[in-house]
Amino acid sequence: MNSLKVQNGEVFNHNEIEFLNADKFHASVLNGLSNGYRMIGLFPVDKKNPNKIVSILSDSASSSLYIIGYENKGDKLEFESFANQFPQTNYFECELAENYGYKPLYHPWLRPVRKQNIILGSQPYKFFKLDGDEVHEVAVGPIHAGVIEPGHFRFQCHGELVYHLEINLGYQHRGIESLMLNANPNQRIILSESIAGDTVIGHTSTHCNAFESLTETQINLRAQVIRSIAEELERIAMHLTGLGGIANDIGFALPASAYGRLRTLVINSLASLCGSRFGRGLFVYGGVRFDFNDENIKQIKSNLEIVKKDIEAINDFLFSSTGALIRFENTGVVSKDFAGKIGLVGTAAKACGIELDSRINFPYGAYRYFPVSPITLSTGDVFARARLRALEIDESLRFIFEQLENIPSGITTEKVGELRINSGVISIVEGWRGEIIHSAFTDEEGKIIQYKIKDPSFNNWYGLSLALRNTAISDFPLCNKSFDLSYAGHDL
Amino acid sequence: MIDAIKLRILQRDSIIQDVSTASLPKLFRGLPVIEDKPCPDGCKKCAEVCPTNAIKTEPLSIDLGLCLFCPLCEEVCPEKIIHYTNDFNLAVDKREKLIITKETKTISPEKASEKIRKYFGRSLKLRQISAGGCNGCELELNALSNVNFDMGRFGIEFVASPRHADGIVITGPLTKNMANATQICYDAVPNPKIIILFGACAISGGIFKNSEETERKFLEQNKIDLYIPGCPPHPLTFINGLLDWLDKK
Repeated sequence: MNSLKVQNGEVFNHNEIEFLNADKFHASVLNGLSNGYRMIGLFPVDKKNPNKIVSILSDSASSSLYIIGYENKGDKLEFESFANQFPQTNYFECELAENYGYKPLYHPWLRPVRKQNIILGSQPYKFFKLDGDEVHEVAVGPIHAGVIEPGHFRFQCHGELVYHLEINLGYQHRGIESLMLNANPNQRIILSESIAGDTVIGHTSTHCNAFESLTETQINLRAQVIRSIAEELERIAMHLTGLGGIANDIGFALPASAYGRLRTLVINSLASLCGSRFGRGLFVYGGVRFDFNDENIKQIKSNLEIVKKDIEAINDFLFSSTGALIRFENTGVVSKDFAGKIGLVGTAAKACGIELDSRINFPYGAYRYFPVSPITLSTGDVFARARLRALEIDESLRFIFEQLENIPSGITTEKVGELRINSGVISIVEGWRGEIIHSAFTDEEGKIIQYKIKDPSFNNWYGLSLALRNTAISDFPLCNKSFDLSYAGHDL
Repeated sequence: MIDAIKLRILQRDSIIQDVSTASLPKLFRGLPVIEDKPCPDGCKKCAEVCPTNAIKTEPLSIDLGLCLFCPLCEEVCPEKIIHYTNDFNLAVDKREKLIITKETKTISPEKASEKIRKYFGRSLKLRQISAGGCNGCELELNALSNVNFDMGRFGIEFVASPRHADGIVITGPLTKNMANATQICYDAVPNPKIIILFGACAISGGIFKNSEETERKFLEQNKIDLYIPGCPPHPLTFINGLLDWLDKK
C-alpha cells in the first residue's frame, strides 16, 4: 500500500503524498480496505483543482490514518469504484461525483448526496421503486410533523412492512465548506459552531484541533480538560434529549418529560461556564475563552448531582417497562456484519458491537491522559441504541466528576501563530453522535485550499435505511430517533 | 403505578414558575448596551472583529438581526463601551428596531393589531419550518414545549400540519433547496396568518449571509410579524416576545 501514514491531528507536508496513477491507486485502496481499514475521506487536496485527490483510510486498531493520493491524468475525471466490494465507500464516491464531476466507473447505484434529484451534473435521478401487487410507496418530507430539520424519505412498502427506504437529503445545504476557505479566523470558529447546532462543542473542538496543529500550537492541559468537560456535558445533554425523544415516540410521556427536565440542568451547566446553553463562544484557537472558577464549578457539580441521582430512577422506570421494551427490542435491527460493511460509526456502531470510539481509538486532547471506558452492546436494535446512550451518560458523568476534582492549573489560551504552508491535517473527535472528521490543507502561501467536514451522520443515514427493512412503517419515528442523526451536519 | 408516582414526585415543580420575571445567569449574553462614552480616536476594533459586520461606527450601532451574540466585540473594546446584559427581552415587530444605539435601553414589540389579538390572543398554533437551521434554533423551539418553559399554558403550541396552523416560525438562512418547500408550506396555512423569524440566520442570513446556497426572496415578498434575534435565541426570548406582542402579560 503506497500511502502516507499519519496520526489524528498530526500535521504533515502534503507534498509528501505520492500521487499514484489509476491502477496503483485502485490497488492500494483495495489493499487497505481488505485489511479492514475504513474509508473516512475521498476528496481533492485543492478544492479548485480536482485532478489530485486523496483517499483517507483509518485503522482504529493501530490509531493510524493512511493517505493514498491519486492524480487523474486523463481528459475525463474518473476512477474505478470500490463500492461493489466495499459498500462503505459508496457514499464517499457519490459525494466526490457530485461535488467535482468525477465519474466512479462500475459504481452500482449513484445517488444525489445534497443536490435535488440530479446526478452527474444534469442527469435526472430516479428513486428506487418496487413493483408488484399491493406494493405501495410512501413519501414523507422535506417538512415533517415536529420541530425538526428537513429531509425526504421514500418508503417502498408491502402493507405495513417496509421493504426499502431511500433517504434524500441536502435541504439544509448552506455551503459551509466553501465559506470556510474565504472566512477569517473569527468567522471560521462561528461556522464550525454552526455545522450542527446540536454538536457545537464536537465540531468546534475538531476544527480548533485541526487549526492548532496547522499553526503548531500546544494547548495547555487546563484548557484541554475544560474542552473535554464541555464535550462530555454536550454528550450528556444530547443523549438526554435523545432518550426523551425515544420515550416520546412510544407515547411514554412521563420519562419523556423527566429526561427533558434533566437536560435543562445540563445545558444550563454549560451556560454557567460560557454563557451559551450550547457552548457557543467557548472555543478560541489556542484554548478556551472562559475558565472555571469556584462559583461555576459549584454550580455544575450541584446540577450534575441532581442529574446523577434522578437519571437512575428515570432509566429504571423506562427500561423496566414491559410496554417500552416490547417496542424497543428487535426493532430496527442492524447486524454487526452489516454495520461493518457500510461503515457505521458512533453510537449506532457501538450498539451493534463494534468497538469504535475516537476518544479511545484516536485519543486527542485530555483523553490522552484521562481515558474513558469503551461501551458496546450487541443487539443493534432500538433497545441497544437507547440503552447505550444511558450507559454513556453514566460514563460521562464519572469523567466530569473526576476531572472537576482535579483541574490542572495553568493558562487557558496560548498564542497562535501563522498557518504552516503546504500542509495538511486530519482531525478526529468523538462527538456525541460519533466520529467527526475535519481535514484541512494549505497552499504555498499558507492559504486554506481545502476544508472537508465529515459528520458521523454522513456514514449513518444509510444505517437507518437498512434498519427499516422488514420493520413496520409505524416504527419509523422510533428508529429515526434511536439513530438521532443530523441533517445539517450531513448537508453542510 | 407506584413507580410512576414516585418519578412524578421526583420531578418536583416546574423550574420556571413565571416566564416574565425569570432571570438568567449574569454570563448570559442578552441585549447588548452601548455606553454613552466617546470611543478612543479612530478605534474600530469592535466593527473589525464582528464576524457578521453587525457593528457600524460613527455613530456606534449594533444590528441585532445580524448579531450572533458572540463575545468578540465586548472582548476587544478597550473602554468597555459595548457590553452584554442578561436581558432576554429582544423580540421586536419591525426590522429597524433591531438596530441598537447609545439611546437604546430596552427593546420590545408594538402590540399586534386588534384583529390579530382577537384571532390569536387565546390560541396560537404555529408550524415551524427549518430552512437551513443548524438544529440549535430547533432545539430551543422544542425546549419551549418541555416542562420547564411549558408554552402550552399560554395557548401557544406547535402543530404538525400547516393547515392547522395560524402562522409559521422560520429558522435557518433559507437555503435554495428549501425555497420551494417553504413557499408551499406557507401557502397551505389559512388566512389570516403570521410569520415569525427565529434566530440571526432567518432574520439576516447570519453567518451564512454571503453563501451562494441561500435564496431569501420569500422574506422580501411577505410581511414579517415578529423578529426573534439570537444565535440561537433563548426560549424565554420567544415566549416573552409573543406574550408582549399579543398583549397577554
